[in-house]
Amino acid sequence: MQLRRGGNSRCFTPGTCMTYIANRLLSVALTLLLISVITFMVTNILPGDVAMVIMGTQSNPEALAGLRESLGLNDPLIVQYGRWIGGMLTGDWGNSLVFKEAIGPLIANKVAASALIVVMSMTIALAAAIPLGVWAAVHRDKWQDTTASTTALMGVSLPDFFWGIMLILLFARYLGWLPSSGFVHPADDFIAAVRHAFLPSLALGLGLMAHLTRMTRSTMSSILSQEFIRVARAKGLTEHTVIWRYALANAIGPVMTVAGLQVGYLFGSIIVIESLFNFTGMGWLTYQALLNRDIPLIQSTVFVIAAVVMITNLVVDLLYAAIDPRIKLP
Amino acid sequence: MKEFFTGKGIVGGGIVLLVLAVALLAPLLIPDTWATQMDMRSRLAGPSTTYLMGTDQLGRDLMFRMLLGAQTSIMIAGTAVLMSLVIGLPLGVISGYFGGWIDNVLMRLVDTLLAFPALLLALTISAVLGPNLTNTIIAIGIAFTPYLARIIRGEALRVAQMPYVEAARAVGTSDTWMIIRHILPNIMPPIIVQATISLAFAILAEAGLSFLGLGTQPPDASWGLMIQASRDYLDVAPWTALVPGAAVAITVLGLNMFGDVLRDVLDPRTK
Amino acid sequence: MTKPIVEIVGLRVGFGGAAAVKDVSFSIQPGETVCIVGESGSGKSVTSLSLMRLVEFGGGEILDGHLMFQRGDVTMDLVTADAATMQSIRGNEIGMIFQEPMTSLNPVFNIERQLTDGLLMHEPLSRSKARERALELLREVRIPEPERRLKQYPHELSGGMRQRVVIAIAMACRPRLLIADEPTTALDVTIQAEILALLNRLKREIGMAVMFITHDMAVVAQIADRVVVMYKGDVVETGPVAEIFAAPKAEYTRALLAAVPRLGDMAGQSAPEPLRLVGDTHDPKPLTPRATPEPLLEVRNLTTRFPVKGGVFRRTVAQVHAVEDVSFTVNKGETLSLVGESGCGKSSCGRSILRLVEATSGTVHLGGQNVLAQTKHELRGMRQHMQMIFQDPFASLNPYMRLQAQLTEPMQNYGLDNREERAAQLFDRVGLPRDFLRRFPHELSGGQRQRIAIARALAVSPGLIVADEAVSALDVSVQAQVLNLMMELQADLDISYLFISHDMAVVERVSHHVAVMYLGRIVEIGPRAAVFENPQHTYTKSLMQAVPIADPNQRKLDGDLAFKPIPSPIHPLDYQPHQSVYETVGLDHRVLVQAG
Repeated sequence: MQLRRGGNSRCFTPGTCMTYIANRLLSVALTLLLISVITFMVTNILPGDVAMVIMGTQSNPEALAGLRESLGLNDPLIVQYGRWIGGMLTGDWGNSLVFKEAIGPLIANKVAASALIVVMSMTIALAAAIPLGVWAAVHRDKWQDTTASTTALMGVSLPDFFWGIMLILLFARYLGWLPSSGFVHPADDFIAAVRHAFLPSLALGLGLMAHLTRMTRSTMSSILSQEFIRVARAKGLTEHTVIWRYALANAIGPVMTVAGLQVGYLFGSIIVIESLFNFTGMGWLTYQALLNRDIPLIQSTVFVIAAVVMITNLVVDLLYAAIDPRIKLP
Repeated sequence: MKEFFTGKGIVGGGIVLLVLAVALLAPLLIPDTWATQMDMRSRLAGPSTTYLMGTDQLGRDLMFRMLLGAQTSIMIAGTAVLMSLVIGLPLGVISGYFGGWIDNVLMRLVDTLLAFPALLLALTISAVLGPNLTNTIIAIGIAFTPYLARIIRGEALRVAQMPYVEAARAVGTSDTWMIIRHILPNIMPPIIVQATISLAFAILAEAGLSFLGLGTQPPDASWGLMIQASRDYLDVAPWTALVPGAAVAITVLGLNMFGDVLRDVLDPRTK
Repeated sequence: MTKPIVEIVGLRVGFGGAAAVKDVSFSIQPGETVCIVGESGSGKSVTSLSLMRLVEFGGGEILDGHLMFQRGDVTMDLVTADAATMQSIRGNEIGMIFQEPMTSLNPVFNIERQLTDGLLMHEPLSRSKARERALELLREVRIPEPERRLKQYPHELSGGMRQRVVIAIAMACRPRLLIADEPTTALDVTIQAEILALLNRLKREIGMAVMFITHDMAVVAQIADRVVVMYKGDVVETGPVAEIFAAPKAEYTRALLAAVPRLGDMAGQSAPEPLRLVGDTHDPKPLTPRATPEPLLEVRNLTTRFPVKGGVFRRTVAQVHAVEDVSFTVNKGETLSLVGESGCGKSSCGRSILRLVEATSGTVHLGGQNVLAQTKHELRGMRQHMQMIFQDPFASLNPYMRLQAQLTEPMQNYGLDNREERAAQLFDRVGLPRDFLRRFPHELSGGQRQRIAIARALAVSPGLIVADEAVSALDVSVQAQVLNLMMELQADLDISYLFISHDMAVVERVSHHVAVMYLGRIVEIGPRAAVFENPQHTYTKSLMQAVPIADPNQRKLDGDLAFKPIPSPIHPLDYQPHQSVYETVGLDHRVLVQAG
């Protein structure tokens, strides 16, 4: 979700200030509602239904009809949607058909696991991408730029799972330094948890890093060509100050925004990477749900992922407003 | 056009041409049997003079499978991007050019759709429709539409605010002619660039879907499917993953380089 | 003569393969103001950036020559100076200010930080001492409430205030030379006058030398001691300002001066008259209005407000009062100019009349029909009679359409015949060769493009042309040619112009009638002679006072100037503006009665 920036979000009277906050919350609620509608629609276009999944395609038609009736699958879609969203709101997320467990606690567990690798991969990516991108921008069109840009271009061109396979081969099989599969809860054994999360995080982080390097480079090169950079040089400041303070302070906001948007991309990639590494997080859970056509679980995981992505972007927007003096939140 | 012939442009353009040639010509020049013939005595054989790139778990020649797989991968990616352009272009242009409530409604919908990771959306649609080649195209096409619609809308909005559009309105040009003569030609260059980059992403998406078993299904052969098949033999025969993986990587790299250079050449704002 | 502070000898600067500066030599004495004047592409900015050795950061390279700089008793060549030496000179011994006040300050740092970091770099000061110096500097450049400003960010300051901060930064270490690269070009005329007066005062008080780069001969006349005229990378003439203006030696300087409209030139004239350019053979004829004026465009009580949207549902939370109760009449074959500073509503007024933006209320009658009441369909027909020329000649032509197609498009829209023949005739009419018809806009220069824009407006033979800052983006010699073309077309085709401009000297040259706009309203309107020779409204008077005159004998930048800043035109929804009430002070000459 994009939020408007700049002058038009400012308040003119104290009254509108209060309504601004209410508006913002209302907007979040509205988006969540839309997300739920889209999720519900996408999962209801399928030819089969829950009853078929439960009883198998070869089952007795009468029994199937009976189950449909008892599950309420013969009701109009809008009624079914109402029942589903009502359940979601009251905390009753139903049961998974595959895992035979309540969906709510199941997801809560997995979200924490995925949060670990998402945070780790983002940290790895940012820590490498910012210096690399700045370096490339400063030496624009020189060999340093060519090297960094070419490396980054190769990075965005390789599929994540291919990175994953390479990492497994190198670090797990040949070198034997790190485990190639499984998940350990950080509360149980923190070191083991990080070791298990490291390779999947790296596999996710490499592609992301390449993308953010390209972004940092282009943002920095456009900032470096602006007038206030010339003014800074004309003041006699050192190149170090000009680049790492004057320019980077302006680049950090846009880079963070893009990094925030990439959280969406990460939540797509974890489906592949967690499956590859047998890392039992949200991605793995979603994949199991999709493979087994566990419709209640698909609905919940898809909804939760979209909601997390939306809220992350909202938080990044608010952070941007906090660090950039040009954006005033009333 | 001189700017195109930089090192990057030549390499990128060369790769794109090569991959297109393989996708078009391989099915005509290579008999199917070369890629499907199983040689049980040399399963998972390493690269040799008989099998230049080795064989897979059924003893099939990996090089020929890779060359023939090009067509499937390129066709799926190309059709999917075309599909999202066909839906996204009118939506984006209408939204950006006319603005108002249509724009508000469409863009709120698109923004919400963007909260769904593209791969998740594609996987869900493919799983729900039942994974096969056609549904893979539909899934990727739908998943990419909001991105393209967003970008096209932004471009249309930018162009709609250009003085030459206001000038054309002042000389009595109607909305239809305005879109045909002024909006479309001016938004085309960035859209071509975006389509090229989307093509790269679509190839990656197809590979991801097939890798998870929710994309192309055998007997259709695609690169993603080949990587999936290699998963269990990584230890003993890493080339089974490397061959199709390299094919994906080189194609996507070529498209990205081509897209980058196109952007430099076509998009005046980066100059 | 004392030793010059800077002596540039045979400077040659290249970008890639091309030389932007070919062979430039001149010197600057301590305490004098040297103006480097030239049109775009003359190499004047590159020269100044070379002196700071900043040109290298933009991809340029000093190929040849010397930049001899006086440091204490020694003279050193800046061309061979190392990075550390240059850094200790920049901001310390040579200060520099730039053209764009809106982008010259780092948007994410506050003013204090940007003022003090240069100081801390060059002088052994504590933070608190540096802060005190920063406060002093802000007082020196006459910024109100300096304590508060230190904690503010650039976006909270107006353009004029930002330029004062940039000057304060450049002055921080008391440089012996200040380089000012078009420092007032992006500013309104009253703010320009303030900044020029400020620079003059600082130069006097501190005794520093100023190297002032500009394209504006009027500014040169106001501040220069000596002038260096540049053209295409070479110096064509150097001399004291009085000599340059009184007896220019170079052909180029003479042509340049002839093209500059001087405020006051038209005093005593009854009608607009084309400029007499160098090389013109025939005498320009004045555009005498017809004996009985015949109204063509009648604007009454025109009001245009733009909504300021906010909130999730993009509701209107406030309004920009762009045009507020404006009335005027344009006669057939005459020019009425709307003049005012940026944000005064002159452009919105022109656009509202053509309904490129929708007015809030009022009437606009063109040839007896109310444009504002027309349906979309009727309006399309109406637009055949009223056309527009836009400011930016680069952006107002579709880059992907051949010029012929751009000219035939309006004719096609109105079903006119012989389109290609007419397009060719229009090319003759605006003085472009016919073989340009097959070209694309990027193959043309700015002046040529503006001629195309005029031809496009003429294509449907309109009675009225709204020219919105039509010559503002052009170099002065090209501007004069386009202005003359417009006046010639008026004489031949009996066209009426609504001429929108910020440039008082240009307006004086072309207008029959003038309306001065301020904060959405016309504050004074009347015949050109009355408004320019007998201004009545305080705002008109301050505008006239601020306009620099291209004559070194008419300097007016003594002491500090401070004009009233323009208040914001944004008001809450319930704001009720008063009506515009006018007092007649002469024949057709009316002045807004101040409210309250």
